[in-house]
Amino acid sequence: MATEPADVLIVGAGATGGVVALRLAQAGFRVVCLEQGDWHDRSEYRGAELDWELTMRKQWATSPNVRALPEDYPIDESDTEVSPLMYSAVGGSMLIFAGAWPRMLPSDFRVRSLDGIADDWPLAYDELLPYYERSDRQFGVSGMGGDPAYPPGGEDPPLPPLPIGAGGLKVARAHARLGWHWWPEPNSILSVPYDGRHPCVQRGTCQQGCGEGAKASTDLTHWPKAIASGARLVTGARVRRLETKAAGLVTGATWLDRDGHEHFEPAKVVVLAANAIGTPRLLLLSASPAHPDGLANASGLVGRRLMMHPFANVGGLFDEDLESWQGQFGCSIESFEFYETDERRGFVRGAKWGLAPTFGPINAALPSRAGTRVWGPDHHLHVRSHLGRGANWGLFGEDLPDESNHITLSPTLTDSSGIPAPEVHYKVAENSRRLLDFHIERASESLREAGAHTVEVDRLMRYSGWHLLGTARMGDDPSTSVLDRWNRAHDVPNLYVVDGSCFVTSAGVNPTSSICAIALRAADHMVESRFNQQVPA
Amino acid sequence: MTAQSTPSATPSDPLPTLDPDRRATFTAIAAYLIPAAHGMPSAGDVIGDARLRFVLAVRPDLVEPLRAALRHELGTDPAARLARLEREEPDHHAALLLVVVGGYYTDADVRERLAYPGQEARPVVVWKVPPYVEEGLIDQVLARGPIWRDPATGRRAEPT
Ligand SMILES: Cc1cc2nc3c(=O)[nH]c(=O)nc-3n(C[C@H](O)[C@H](O)[C@H](O)COP(=O)(O)OP(=O)(O)OC[C@H]3O[C@@H](n4cnc5c(N)ncnc54)[C@H](O)[C@@H]3O)c2cc1C
Ligand code: SF4
Repeated sequence: MATEPADVLIVGAGATGGVVALRLAQAGFRVVCLEQGDWHDRSEYRGAELDWELTMRKQWATSPNVRALPEDYPIDESDTEVSPLMYSAVGGSMLIFAGAWPRMLPSDFRVRSLDGIADDWPLAYDELLPYYERSDRQFGVSGMGGDPAYPPGGEDPPLPPLPIGAGGLKVARAHARLGWHWWPEPNSILSVPYDGRHPCVQRGTCQQGCGEGAKASTDLTHWPKAIASGARLVTGARVRRLETKAAGLVTGATWLDRDGHEHFEPAKVVVLAANAIGTPRLLLLSASPAHPDGLANASGLVGRRLMMHPFANVGGLFDEDLESWQGQFGCSIESFEFYETDERRGFVRGAKWGLAPTFGPINAALPSRAGTRVWGPDHHLHVRSHLGRGANWGLFGEDLPDESNHITLSPTLTDSSGIPAPEVHYKVAENSRRLLDFHIERASESLREAGAHTVEVDRLMRYSGWHLLGTARMGDDPSTSVLDRWNRAHDVPNLYVVDGSCFVTSAGVNPTSSICAIALRAADHMVESRFNQQVPA
Repeated sequence: MTAQSTPSATPSDPLPTLDPDRRATFTAIAAYLIPAAHGMPSAGDVIGDARLRFVLAVRPDLVEPLRAALRHELGTDPAARLARLEREEPDHHAALLLVVVGGYYTDADVRERLAYPGQEARPVVVWKVPPYVEEGLIDQVLARGPIWRDPATGRRAEPT
């Protein structure tokens, strides 16, 4: 085992682990990454197979509790209204993410100043813009520049937009009549060959792994290059705790291999990239006499302020066959018409809408997410009216931070290595409920205008915890934040957290393009401040 | 000991784990849920050994809940069985529905009748102007001007 400390030890080889590893390895850092999951070969993905809609409900489920693979850790969900979703592998949750890649908006960084609620970020949209652009080039983003929902200027997405499909066109025309915003959604999915990868073939199975390699995930976009630049990635390596020295510096991580053998990986700097559930879990697991409440937790905010985006699905059914089982699962089009605060609506902040495909016949036949089900002779009419004839607006509402939404360690539940599992305590706020009610009404209007004869609503989906944010927020004041504006722990000068834990507020957009831009910015800072970095003696 | 708690490892061929009584019950329930109508065949007819084997092979975790859902003591009335399972054993109920639906909709004839070809590979065409651009839909969005809120003023941004 390693005795020479790594320059940087990264925990988690998902989206942000990959981004930071590549930047640091290319800058000459000796990078080691510990990842509890494994590499996946694209041939394992089921999207092109007959069993796709069966295996997506178990082996390729989005919930680690449903999959229950040895590399997943279970999550105690008895006290949460929304289930956190994720994947444990090289590439992390990106393996099963949908690929929607919108950016946050300028107002998202100034919620306290603009709306008198929550907090402002210690950074602004303009500051992040160059990182968005670099990150888009790394991942390969398809989209159309000039969206008037964003400030003008900056680079267009590097690749042309993906098709919007027959459903997207219907809704775009409807929005033209309504005078409402819509735009082709940016997706981290290739519309043309790029960086040695194949373009999308519109199979619509992105959330069960992309067999083409068209959808970005860091096992394709970052890790091969990071490894070629000298990074060492250890899979099947489950970190149990971070170790610290009296001086308050972290010295490395204790981890368990697949056979349960314990190892210690020494490091000068540790970067947590284990997502906003896995990272606070590790910080709490790293409690010691010097840090009885967990590492980097002088503020008491580690694990607190969990945000997961309250989500509703509004599905329109049309007479025409739209072949809506096809198309990128990211989104075809988006709308920011009702994104910004309008207090007359009875709530603050808003939601981005993204139009998505509607799965295949098994999904059409089973009781729908909106609770509709038909058995007996009319079952056939039900399936015919749903299969390929739908358009779904997914509504991603802004979730305001609340310290009572938090992660603790389970006293009873453990992962397959015997390490305490996280318990999630989460309630949907009244603002979120009102926000969703309003947006559901407007999205229904949009679909009716587009010609839908029926609109079905799934108001607050349980399995919608795709976006994990806020459990180690950044800020300038160490008494009210865990990380500084560069993602470094206020309390532990050689510890960084680069995943979505750092979010101050959630915005109302899919977060991964922002998470990765912020991670890239943090990595740049590590490179620039390398000679001032405090490290263990 | 109830059928639910009967331990039985998932064998490589899952069908023998369904005794004739369970098999007949399954067919009756499949036909009850998805009968022949509107030009579509009955699931009781469609889901033969091959389809059932397929579903249970790709989802071996369904074998035990399916066996439990089909146990003799739940009676002969499909409606009463389904209602009781849904009320008292939702996991077994869900497994039964999924096996029926999974067996039926992976059948080639059923898919053909629905004109569903499966999730096909359809290369993206980027060299043609998209219809929404040609129709002027993008121009209309642009003509309405910016909609983002400027943090400096707190109001919708002015056109530049
Ligand atoms: C079904 C689904 C759909 C989604 N769709 C979208 C979308 O369309 N757009 C969007 O913006 N976002 C989407 N997301 C969210 C997106 O996937 C995440 O925001 C992103 O992957 C977060 O990156 P990360 O690096 O923080 O964490 P992850 O990608 O989750 O990676 C964390 C890694 O850390 C590892 N790890 C955790 N704990 C340990 C430990 N103790 N030891 C070793 N390794 C550990 C995990 O195994 C994992 O590989 C989706 C997510 C899901 C689940
Ligand atoms: S739709 Fe495109 S991105 Fe999604 S799985 Fe298919 S090829 Fe991959």
